[in-house]
Amino acid sequence: MSQYCSSGLRNRPITVISLILIACVLMLCASTAFSRFAMVLDDIKHPAFEMKTVLLHFVSGSDETGEIEIVIGEFKAQDYIWKNIRLSCSDFQYGRTTMQCEKGYVRIPEFIAFPVALHVFFDAQTLIIKGFPAKNESWEVALEWNNTSWQGIVTIHNISLDSIAKWFPDQEKTPIPGNGRVSGNVSFSGDGVDLRSAAMDLSVEELAFSDRDGLHAGENINLSLKGGINRTPHQSRWHWHGDVYWQQGEVFWQPIYMVGSDHYLNLQGIFDGETIRLMESTVKLNGLGIFHFTGIFNLLRKQLSTFELKADGVRLAALYEQLLQPFLRNTALAEIQLTGNVDWLVRMEDGVVQSLQIDLDEVNIEDARNRFAFHRINAHIPWLFEGATVADISILSGHVLSIPLGAVRVPLELNQFDIFLPQVTLPVLDGHLKLENFGAKYTEDGWRWKFNGGLSPISMEALTSALQTQPMRGTLSGYIPEVSFDGNTVSVNGVLQLSVFDGSVVMHNLKLIEPMGLAPHLMTDIAMRNLDLELLTGTFSFGKVEGRVDIDVLNLELANWVPVHFDAHLFSSPGSYSRRISQAAIENISALGGKGAVAAIQRSFLRFFEEFRYAEIGWRCKLRLDICYMGGIDSESESRYTLIQGGGIPAITVIGYNREVGWQELISRLQRITSENEPIIQ
Amino acid sequence: MVNYTRYYLLLLCLLCASIPMLGYAEANLEINSPAISNIKQRMQSRHSELVEYYNSGAIGLTQDGMVMVRDANAVSLAKRQHVNSLVSAENQDRNALYREIARANNHPEWESKIRSTFGERWINLARSGWWYQAGGRWKQK
Repeated sequence: MSQYCSSGLRNRPITVISLILIACVLMLCASTAFSRFAMVLDDIKHPAFEMKTVLLHFVSGSDETGEIEIVIGEFKAQDYIWKNIRLSCSDFQYGRTTMQCEKGYVRIPEFIAFPVALHVFFDAQTLIIKGFPAKNESWEVALEWNNTSWQGIVTIHNISLDSIAKWFPDQEKTPIPGNGRVSGNVSFSGDGVDLRSAAMDLSVEELAFSDRDGLHAGENINLSLKGGINRTPHQSRWHWHGDVYWQQGEVFWQPIYMVGSDHYLNLQGIFDGETIRLMESTVKLNGLGIFHFTGIFNLLRKQLSTFELKADGVRLAALYEQLLQPFLRNTALAEIQLTGNVDWLVRMEDGVVQSLQIDLDEVNIEDARNRFAFHRINAHIPWLFEGATVADISILSGHVLSIPLGAVRVPLELNQFDIFLPQVTLPVLDGHLKLENFGAKYTEDGWRWKFNGGLSPISMEALTSALQTQPMRGTLSGYIPEVSFDGNTVSVNGVLQLSVFDGSVVMHNLKLIEPMGLAPHLMTDIAMRNLDLELLTGTFSFGKVEGRVDIDVLNLELANWVPVHFDAHLFSSPGSYSRRISQAAIENISALGGKGAVAAIQRSFLRFFEEFRYAEIGWRCKLRLDICYMGGIDSESESRYTLIQGGGIPAITVIGYNREVGWQELISRLQRITSENEPIIQ
Repeated sequence: MVNYTRYYLLLLCLLCASIPMLGYAEANLEINSPAISNIKQRMQSRHSELVEYYNSGAIGLTQDGMVMVRDANAVSLAKRQHVNSLVSAENQDRNALYREIARANNHPEWESKIRSTFGERWINLARSGWWYQAGGRWKQK
């Protein structure tokens, strides 16, 4: 005989436990009267889950035994939906004090299917459910209750985490476990329908996870997870804490790669239903340092309303290598070596940094490409989102593009994203670079800055030695008008004036595109006036030439610091001065043009004089695609051109014939002449 | 053993030899400058490292003449950051190469044309089995 009942339970909170117990009681009662019992619950709703078409089927056997089957047509929790969940038991036993099932089975199609066991002790008010998902894997839920309170413990043994992957939403960016095993226990207790406390102690071994693109992945990870949560008596606040020990394994979390080596995370705080308060939490990254943080996360707004991160004595070398470098790939700091320590304190409110304090202790920065280096940097840098501060930065030494810099102390005025420096004097070699009105601003397109200043005399010998180029004599000094950087190009707005070889150099339209890029481009027009040829040629061991010259270099372009384009014109300065040229210099000028390029007077005649007089010197070179198209005093178009126009006694006139010469060839000839310190006779 | 340097040089030569096919005869892709030479040298020395990842499908060629990580799963975790660095450095050099060739032609505004021409040619000259993007989707040669 059978009986079917139908029930509709809507919008009433029914716990799973009470549902099971109600069903059991109904079945026990029914079993005394009927050999078969079936019940259909059409619809069960709870804030956390929803079930449709729940069928309970019981067939009574002999001596308080029977078979039971529960089929849930649809179970929905959050965005998860499972259909046709089937719980069955072929050896169901029941009595006045106990109810048990040793051979139960649970199946959720395409998700899980494994044996379970159930024990209920009514006297002891205890419920035990065991699951055996696979060989050597098991879990157990033990629950005890009395009139007012209950407590339980979930014991997990060697559960495979890859089976959990099925429960994750199939999203491209979500890391899914692919391997790993978890063991440990989770305990909990409560009063009535309320949880009072919970604790967990779990160990995870050989965890592997990855998202679909492999950009967030981990392998062979061993973790220890401990935590607890306790409700404050008579209050709706929860004190919670958690500890994560990352003992081994590796993680790639685009773009950071880290190896687990006793890293440690400690979290603790208070949860009040609307906010999660982080209190005195720490993360220790082995080899890097300890970071302390606190904060408040607003669950309603899903936002960090406050956050504070503090770190002391963090090793910059490890910080750069492990965390910073991947974020600096496209900057001038992409390949640097850092030493020293840093402290910092960051405060955020509503996702916006309100204040920042950075202290550098004996920091050294060296560019791997040797473009710059700064040594023994000590700094105290406070910054406020609203308000002005002054940073104090001191650098003991350094270099930029091989030019040595001396000790400097910089008091930087910071105002939000503006930086201002009224004046600073930077020792450069044996002189000083004076920067005035330096201002920098951070915009959406990056940093922009400008300054003006001056260069007090720097020895050219020291400068050329530092640049490892041809030694020169004299001094370099000048006025620096407004120099600005727009995120891509350094521009001199005005003229840059320098003093060198007892003459003056004026640079117009000076631009440096991508100064720290892979191929910096420098463009300018240069006008040199009244240079002392004796100083100039003496410097280059070219042979003595007395006189003065003007040099115009228009449309000069250097790519990667090598000339690729210019229109150069060297000519005698106007005025009255001694104009003499040595035999050696004439021979070298001849050699520069190549074999047969220059015809002077007979060599036999040359032997009689050490020096000659000249009226005018002229040389032109248009550099195009690595070819120098040469000319002389006049821009005549004939095949020949005059380089030196003789005048006085003894006089000499030098004529050039070779109009084109490879730039590299010209440079290497010049280098040979000047390095050998002897004229080349061809 | 495959001589990757020779292969890379061949690729560059073929790219440069394809000038008449470009549709804008004025552009000289073979043009050289100290900056271009430096960039090519860096790319050449890096190419032998990249070949391993082209072959495994970890990286592929994009239509705009760049290199992109296609499947990080084809690389061990410890090397994924290195592959990222390689790709980043290669793309910096490629950007600089296209820009320098345009500048050397005295037409900086040609950069995007030169880039797309190179992109097309890199894909045409890619080896069998390498991955490339077409219409926003990955395809294997």
